[in-house]
Amino acid sequence: MYTETPKEISEIRFGLMDPEQYREMSATKVITADTYDDDGFPIDMGLMDPRLGVIDPGLECRTCGKHSGSCNGHFGHIELAAPVIHVGFTKLIRRLLRGTCRNCSRLLLTEAEMAEFGDDLTRTRELDGDVSDVTKAAIRQARKADVCPHCGEIQYDIQHEKPTTYYEVQEVLSSDYPELIAKAMQPDPDDEEDEGMAPPQLAEATGLDLSRINQILSGGFRPREDQREALEDALDVDLTEEDLNKLMPSDIRDWFEDIPDDDVAALGIDSTSSRPEWMILTVLPVPPVTARPSITLDNGQRSEDDLTHKLVDIIRINQRFMENREAGAPQLIIEDLWELLQYHVTTFMDNEISGTPPARHRSGRPLKTLSQRLKGKDGRFRNSLSGKRVNFSARTVISPDPTLSLNEVGIPERVATEMTITMNVTDRNVEEARRYVANGPHRHPGANYVRRPDGRRLKVTEKNCEALAGQGEAEAAQVVDVGWEVNRHLVDGDIVIFNRQPSLHRMSIMAHEVVVMPYKTFRLNTVVCPPYNADFDGDEMNLHALQNEEARAEARVLMRVQEQILSPRFGENIIGAIQDHVSGTYLLTHENPRFNETQSLDLLRGTSVDGLPDPDGTDEDGDDYWNGRTIFSELIPDDLSLAFTSSAGDEVVIENGQLLEGTIDEGAVGAFGGQIVDTIMKDHGPTRARIFINEVSSLAMRSIMHFGFSLGIDDESIPGNASEQIEEVIANAYDRVEELITAYEAGEIESLPGRTVDETLELKISQTLGRARDSAGEIAEENFEEDNPAVIMAESGARGNLLNLTQMTACVGQQHVRGERINRGYEGRTLSHYEPGDLSADAHGFVRNSYREGLNPREFFFHAMGGREGLVDTAVRTSKSGYLQRRLINALSELETQYDGTVRDTNDKIVQFEFGEDGTSPVRVSSAVDHDIDIDGIADRVLDAEFDTDGELQSFMDRWQRPTNLSEHGEEPVEAPTDSQPARPVAAEVDDD
Amino acid sequence: MVDVSNHTLVPEHVVLSDEDAEAVLEEYGVKRTDLPKIKASDPALPAEAVPGDVLKIVRDSRTTETAVNYRLVIQ
Ligand SMILES: [Mg+2]
Ligand SMILES: [Zn+2]
Ligand SMILES: [Zn+2]
Repeated sequence: MYTETPKEISEIRFGLMDPEQYREMSATKVITADTYDDDGFPIDMGLMDPRLGVIDPGLECRTCGKHSGSCNGHFGHIELAAPVIHVGFTKLIRRLLRGTCRNCSRLLLTEAEMAEFGDDLTRTRELDGDVSDVTKAAIRQARKADVCPHCGEIQYDIQHEKPTTYYEVQEVLSSDYPELIAKAMQPDPDDEEDEGMAPPQLAEATGLDLSRINQILSGGFRPREDQREALEDALDVDLTEEDLNKLMPSDIRDWFEDIPDDDVAALGIDSTSSRPEWMILTVLPVPPVTARPSITLDNGQRSEDDLTHKLVDIIRINQRFMENREAGAPQLIIEDLWELLQYHVTTFMDNEISGTPPARHRSGRPLKTLSQRLKGKDGRFRNSLSGKRVNFSARTVISPDPTLSLNEVGIPERVATEMTITMNVTDRNVEEARRYVANGPHRHPGANYVRRPDGRRLKVTEKNCEALAGQGEAEAAQVVDVGWEVNRHLVDGDIVIFNRQPSLHRMSIMAHEVVVMPYKTFRLNTVVCPPYNADFDGDEMNLHALQNEEARAEARVLMRVQEQILSPRFGENIIGAIQDHVSGTYLLTHENPRFNETQSLDLLRGTSVDGLPDPDGTDEDGDDYWNGRTIFSELIPDDLSLAFTSSAGDEVVIENGQLLEGTIDEGAVGAFGGQIVDTIMKDHGPTRARIFINEVSSLAMRSIMHFGFSLGIDDESIPGNASEQIEEVIANAYDRVEELITAYEAGEIESLPGRTVDETLELKISQTLGRARDSAGEIAEENFEEDNPAVIMAESGARGNLLNLTQMTACVGQQHVRGERINRGYEGRTLSHYEPGDLSADAHGFVRNSYREGLNPREFFFHAMGGREGLVDTAVRTSKSGYLQRRLINALSELETQYDGTVRDTNDKIVQFEFGEDGTSPVRVSSAVDHDIDIDGIADRVLDAEFDTDGELQSFMDRWQRPTNLSEHGEEPVEAPTDSQPARPVAAEVDDD
Repeated sequence: MVDVSNHTLVPEHVVLSDEDAEAVLEEYGVKRTDLPKIKASDPALPAEAVPGDVLKIVRDSRTTETAVNYRLVIQ
């Protein structure tokens, strides 16, 4: 069972099925509509015939001999009393009827046209184009023919009445032809020159006998077709009416049977696998009982599947049809029954056809038939195949745990005992496996199931666990041994996959190492919040336990969090310090504070640093002290040298792992491109980067706890004189707005280029008020202490910005809807509090208060208007971009970069000749400050790592290159170097620019 | 009609000789129809190109100086 290698599918072909094949594969013919007899046994040749498969446990399949569960079921068949149309092919049937001859069934195209369409088809197939475009064009062309080019038969139009009725539209002699002729012979009363036509004249004009004319006029003789045309010509009258000639399914089947194979080939149909007449059913396959199991209700009654109900209907009608036909019933009754049979077969396949009443259950619920099982969100495709529920998965609320490594995930003990990992028992782990089993299913590192080499699965219980583990006197065959499988609990160090929806990028699914913990939430280090876009306001996440060594190895090597520190989106790190981590490192390094020995050791207690460096000095009491930057330097790799500008604006200088100058903040260690994290990741690899991030976050937490960090309402207060200044600034702005309005009303405002006067006024008011808010913010900022927590957060990049600060402390400012001051509400005014036409700042949504002072009711209302727009915007944006993302993913999902660097689709068609046109991965590229690719840096690093001494390097660089047979590209005769002519250096020369 | 081939944004399109085209196909191990396509009606097409030809398109690239592409001319 496990040794079987997976089979490779080379081809899947879709086509119609030969009715003979239905009969061949059928396990039994079904002739009775009954299911079970009075004793509850399935009736032979009934819908539940045991040859169709078994669903009751214990019974044996009469076809394959297997039991329920291992027998997949077998198809049966119903011989239909009369052919019926397959609803799935009504459009194709219509096209074929229109495109082929009603007499000889050939395609209504000349040989030349057919050949041309045939060529067109092959070309389209080769180019992967849409074949149906060509076949549709062929049918359109064929439909134009009035006369068959092969046998000369006149063709009629085909009318399709949905869903399954087809008519031929024929022109026949109108039933009131005598009246029509007589009327046309009368003189036209409106036309004085028209004297009408007497019968002798008509006889002469048409070449008919006068007596014949009289017979026609009396209705005693129906003119033949040529005579009718002569009459029509002579009298300029239309004597025909449309007659609909219904095509019965049997007629259509006969028609299609005569279509030659070559003709259907021109329509893109492969007649070896799909003959057109197979679209008209003569045999109906009966799905196996396993596809339509009956369920036994509590009261012992059986309840049948919808499909079975539908099949019962079909068989009943089928039988009635046969009985009536044998009894020689009138044609009308036969046709009615035929239509009924067609209805039941149609709804068996699709019960949601427009224009057809759906077949209903006794309760009035529409039946779920074949199409309904497949279609839509709850259908087989979207619900059971593309997305399905999986085993070995868990979901719960997440919460933070800063003591975990970013590679780890905390898992509740309950989850760890429920979810298992499959362990293949070998002679090296048999003892370990027995230890798990011995613990039973409830004691933590235990096991829930074992599987014997014969494939039998046993549940581990309190009772059998010791016996299975070989403790006590148990039969040897009953003890876990080599070749068994043990489903053991998750334990610390296991690798699992962790995911948060929406899974928009690859970092939404990463592999973590398990840490089993008490309580009921998944725990994760806060530094992995950015890649998952997670927070802890009730977010839930999913976890999947991997079930084989390959999957575990793959996850560990490729998917572990530390391997995902760099985002392919930016080419920079997406994992790093966030929020309080950033505030913490800022406090630690900004003013470079001093710490005594105890404090220093306490700061570093969460890291691997176990000794302090030499102290930076001694304080006035003679005690050693260490500076914050010195302590931070302990975390930096010794060989790191770096210089950049921090978010706070000062120059950061790191030399040989020592932070000499500058503030460590968001720009240095933050997620989304923190310079130090990014550089360590690229230069020292993921493991060093993981250690660095872990230690930075741990140091930062210690640091922020050392200093204490909180934000209260008083932190947003400013001194009274500052408030007065702000009041003044805003009052001045109000005055200027008033001046502008006065000027506008006096017609003194000159419009700016490309704008109307009204627009100019709005613009100037907005500018004035905007400037007022900005200067209010500046005044507020000047009055904040350096150590104000909001300022620290804004400056370090931890959270918030200057605008937030301004709005909290000085002035919230202008509210906007649709990018303009608020202009909606009543006619000519925003609220009933204002005069119509009031253009003032207050009347159009300027909020002069700060959030701390509080908004007045009118300001609050305007603020809500602006706020709502923001909410609606985000809601719309997420759904729009989600859809866009879905479309992109579906379009690109099967593209793959090949070993030769090309990007190809599943048909090996080339999409890009070199991945991304440069063949580089954004995360494998080292970026210098100016974002050019640092090729010199890479080359230097490789050479440095490769050679210990300059001498070795030099000898390598001067080494003669052997010719290789790896590529013929750029091959030129290579000669061994002579003394006078040194060989080319191996490293490519790189231009400096 | 306007000749777009001199426009700065239109990369260089060259018709490959049969031997060169075969060499490209061999290099990538593909059939002619596995190449990306360009319509014969494309304004950037060189005048002498006919359906079935392989074009070499040399684009400017931000990361590598130039990026070479090949396309099959179709109707
Ligand atoms: Mg949330
Ligand atoms: Zn069976
Ligand atoms: Zn014909």
